Amino acid sequence: MPSVDDMTTSTALTSVSAQPSARRPMLRQLAADTGYVLLGFPIAVASFVVLIAGLALGVGLGITVIGLPILAGALYAARGFADIERLRMPLVLRQDRVRPHYRSAEEGASVWRRVITPIVDAQSWLDLAHGVVKFPITVFSFVVTVTWWAGAVGGLLYWTYAWAIPNGPDDQDLTELLGLGDSIGARIAMYSAFGLFFLITLPVVVRGCAVLEASFGKALLTGVAEMRNRITVLEEQKRAAVSAEANALRRLERDIHDGPQQRLVRLAMDLGRAQQQMETDPEAARRTLDEALSQTRDTLAELRALSRGIAPPILVDRGLPSALAALAARGVIPVDLTIDPKLGRLEPSVETTAYFVVAEALTNVAKHSGATECWVVVSRAGDRLKIDIIDDGDGGAHVSKGHGLAGIADRLTANGGRLDVLSPVGGPTEVRAELPC
Amino acid sequence: MLTADRLESPMRVVIADDAVLLREGLVRLLTENGHEVVAAVGDGDALVAAIEEHRPDISIVDVRMPPNHTDEGLRAAVTARERVPRTPILVLSQYVEVSYADDLLADRAGAVGYLLKDRVAAIAEFLDAVGRVAAGGTVLDPEVVSQLLVRRRRDDPLRELTPREREVLALMAEGRSNTAIARILVVSDGAVEKHVRNIFTKLQLPPDEEQHRRVLAVLAYLGS
Repeated sequence: MPSVDDMTTSTALTSVSAQPSARRPMLRQLAADTGYVLLGFPIAVASFVVLIAGLALGVGLGITVIGLPILAGALYAARGFADIERLRMPLVLRQDRVRPHYRSAEEGASVWRRVITPIVDAQSWLDLAHGVVKFPITVFSFVVTVTWWAGAVGGLLYWTYAWAIPNGPDDQDLTELLGLGDSIGARIAMYSAFGLFFLITLPVVVRGCAVLEASFGKALLTGVAEMRNRITVLEEQKRAAVSAEANALRRLERDIHDGPQQRLVRLAMDLGRAQQQMETDPEAARRTLDEALSQTRDTLAELRALSRGIAPPILVDRGLPSALAALAARGVIPVDLTIDPKLGRLEPSVETTAYFVVAEALTNVAKHSGATECWVVVSRAGDRLKIDIIDDGDGGAHVSKGHGLAGIADRLTANGGRLDVLSPVGGPTEVRAELPC
Repeated sequence: MLTADRLESPMRVVIADDAVLLREGLVRLLTENGHEVVAAVGDGDALVAAIEEHRPDISIVDVRMPPNHTDEGLRAAVTARERVPRTPILVLSQYVEVSYADDLLADRAGAVGYLLKDRVAAIAEFLDAVGRVAAGGTVLDPEVVSQLLVRRRRDDPLRELTPREREVLALMAEGRSNTAIARILVVSDGAVEKHVRNIFTKLQLPPDEEQHRRVLAVLAYLGS
């Protein structure tokens, strides 16, 4: 059953709900809701009749073999009605069309197996339950909706047909009972007031009816599928997190191996040579030591760059804007950095991911794009952090394996974000990242 | 004195390392000590080609090279030894792994070495190892040797060796001569010779050329 929370948030859609783009003008929403409820009634009647008959017949004859195909037929019919409902629901509820996964018989399966398949499928029975139980709910919302429309239209137009209503001496109108007198003016005033009340409450009431009906459908028809989709998304996030971590570790090892480790070996080599030269050729030894010294400085610089890449201290101390500014200043290509001044401090994981995305994207730009300038825009819209990195390079970038972009995509997915890359050959390249914050 | 020895027999060397920094360092080091570097290359294919072309006295090879940066150097070394049998190869690496050593020793021909890159810094010892590999010996890094000690199986013929004999065998695996072993263990040459004979007997190595038996003993030690 739809929870009260669901209903209130959906009803109050126009005032507080999440996405501005999802709002519809009140009149269009009213028309959609009304259409949904009115059309729902004949469908519900048809589905109730067909399904109850099929179910009763199928179960009743279940003891003979004929019952099972009838039951299977009823379940298929329920699936048909459920599909109609699933098509209709997005009109009322803000959601994508989802269709649950039904079990299907393998190819070449026996007739018997084909008959059994829908019977052992849990979603089929949920469809059937929906087709039957929905009936009273639909009747209720249909009646309320029709009443409200009738009240609104009839009340407001009362003045146009008041003359046609017989008003004999024995008739007592509501106005008289309320002690407002029997004048036509009083009657028109009262019924118009009623009409106005119905009209004002009409959108909310009809919305409530439509949401009640659709939420019931959502619970039975798409709930399982939505949960399954959610699980798929979570699994995908987990995979991305694991892959991002593995890649980061591998790269760290590679960076250490190719960088500081290499230099230290060379340093050791040079010092060994210096030791050897000391006895025979002190001048050569001095030169070798000079080289060794500069080798040490290079090693330190490399280690510094490396540790900055792992966890930039400035990001921890000062937050994303300062860290990105420092990053942009160190880059080879001029970077035009625009950061939302209201950004403030974010969750550490969000800051780290955002920093990583920009750092990696800028590395890519420097390495592959041939760009002369680059723009980085960081902004916040609601609970989403948006990062756009645009360069005027050659384009042709894509999220393929081994490219830095794949690492970015993994990191974003792992944190519930997403990556879009627009990079036609010839440029420019736009890398658009989004992540929840 | 050692230096003088080597100067009398300068070697022709091929170097394979993708890091220019280390390649240059090695070239200088070897040149300064009187050897001739006939080729310095940056990947496995070039190494095989250089060995085929120059037939060097020894090749010094980095394990990790392009394109995949895993064990290209090792595989190139194995290929090179198929094309030019017994061409001496000394493999250098930032890490030493026993399984890599196994690959290298698989052809049981000797004239191979496997050392940590760090060993290069002790120049005299490094050049000594280079010389021993060039002369057909087997030189394994002490690090590999100590890893092997951990990897022993229960039904191992090596279990019959006395601790002293094992010490001797470990030093043989590092490529030391009997004289060097005697000096390290502070015993007489005769004592070492006796230990070595015992090792050969216990490992049931057929009487053969001394150098070859040493290689086989080391292989027994590796358990391959």
